[in-house]
Amino acid sequence: MIVKTANLNLYYGSFHALKDIDLSIKENLITGIIGPSGCGKSTLLRVFNRMNDLIRGVRVTGAVLIDREDIHSPICDLILLRKTVGMVFQRPNAFPLSIFDNIAYGPRVWGITDKKTLRDIVERSLAAVDLFDVLKGRLKESALSLSAEKQQRLCIARLLAVEPEILLMDEPCSALDPIATGKIEELMLELKRKYTIIIVTHNMQQAARIADEVGFMLLGELIEFDSAKKIFTNPSDKRTFDYISGRFG
Amino acid sequence: MDRHFDEELQKVKKNVLEMASLVDESITKALEALKNRDLKMASEVKEIDHRIDRFEIAIEDQCIELIARHQPVGTDLRFLIGVIKMNNDLERMGDHAVNITGSVAFLIEQPRIKPVSNIWSMVVEVKKMLNDSVKSFMNNDAEMAQQVCERDNVVDEMRDETIRILLTYMLEQPDKIGSAIPLLLVAKNLERIADLATNICEDVIYIAQARVIKHHAEEQK
Repeated sequence: MIVKTANLNLYYGSFHALKDIDLSIKENLITGIIGPSGCGKSTLLRVFNRMNDLIRGVRVTGAVLIDREDIHSPICDLILLRKTVGMVFQRPNAFPLSIFDNIAYGPRVWGITDKKTLRDIVERSLAAVDLFDVLKGRLKESALSLSAEKQQRLCIARLLAVEPEILLMDEPCSALDPIATGKIEELMLELKRKYTIIIVTHNMQQAARIADEVGFMLLGELIEFDSAKKIFTNPSDKRTFDYISGRFG
Repeated sequence: MDRHFDEELQKVKKNVLEMASLVDESITKALEALKNRDLKMASEVKEIDHRIDRFEIAIEDQCIELIARHQPVGTDLRFLIGVIKMNNDLERMGDHAVNITGSVAFLIEQPRIKPVSNIWSMVVEVKKMLNDSVKSFMNNDAEMAQQVCERDNVVDEMRDETIRILLTYMLEQPDKIGSAIPLLLVAKNLERIADLATNICEDVIYIAQARVIKHHAEEQK
């Protein structure tokens, strides 16, 4: 599923947060968005499932196309959009429910009540994030009893349970230690076989390690968008080089 | 932990192995071309050299990308730096094989001389050094690499002996100088290939044990 933006602008009241963003994100790749704090990368990420709609005073102009459909069109089904485009946040936000109920939550919202079907979905989703073998005997325990890394995996599994196509990840490892970060990165590399992943990260090394394509943002502008190899070995724009080489940011 | 990075390193290793087997093939064919005065085989060596050149560029590119994107440290860093260096050595070996074939067209015009058996013994030894250097790289075997380095002296002696034999031959039969001089150059090229195999082994020791043995660096400490 291809994601495209054309002349995308976003305003928080009078503040111009995203400026003329033209972007094309390919399917089954990991696309990393990097840039200093306040550059608009999380705002851009939230555009793709219209999470910014929840903020008062937001105004968006330009087009955002997902699979050739404009997500700001009046006929766009917002609930279906957020099912198709799932999001993982900085801190794991497991619900205060059992591990099983966390995963089954989405499918139940979508009307699945058959116990066997739900069990299958839970098993499949946990297996996709490499947690089923570890947790199969603990499905009734509270999800909050898990480590931060396992909770983050659980949150990813919860997304997968509703069969999304695009995964948005907003600093998904910022609350994790280096070993847990490594495990989540490995998981992302596995998941990209089936899903299109867009990740916002402060951690430039993380983008370098896992992203196939990288966009560098500064003050609301997309300065450069290219393959990770090009960005990290020979960026076209001096500002990108200055940022990735630690000269600012 | 970083399984994907390990897979990338394995891909680099596989490319080095493929490049080394092309180098081996080019040396074999270069000597065959010389022995049989076979211009067609000489041009095959040039073709193989183009493929070796493409490998050199691809491997260098792979290493630069991995360094830029993964910021490797320790063994991983030494591995990539070592590969960049041996990549260059393998490419140079391919060039020496082409140099050997450079005499073939000239030799066709010259009378045949009696076989110089030393050159063929040198070929065997040099190819063994190349194969063992690659094997030591594949197995990360510093001990084997050290043994290959020590064999470089054997090749140097073989070269000196070959030169002595050829000089004596030229003095005795000045009308065959044209046939003998290309063989001097072959001996020189083979000896350079052995030097480059030694360089590869020095890199293997650096990768495996973080020891720098070139230029007698350890003795100078």
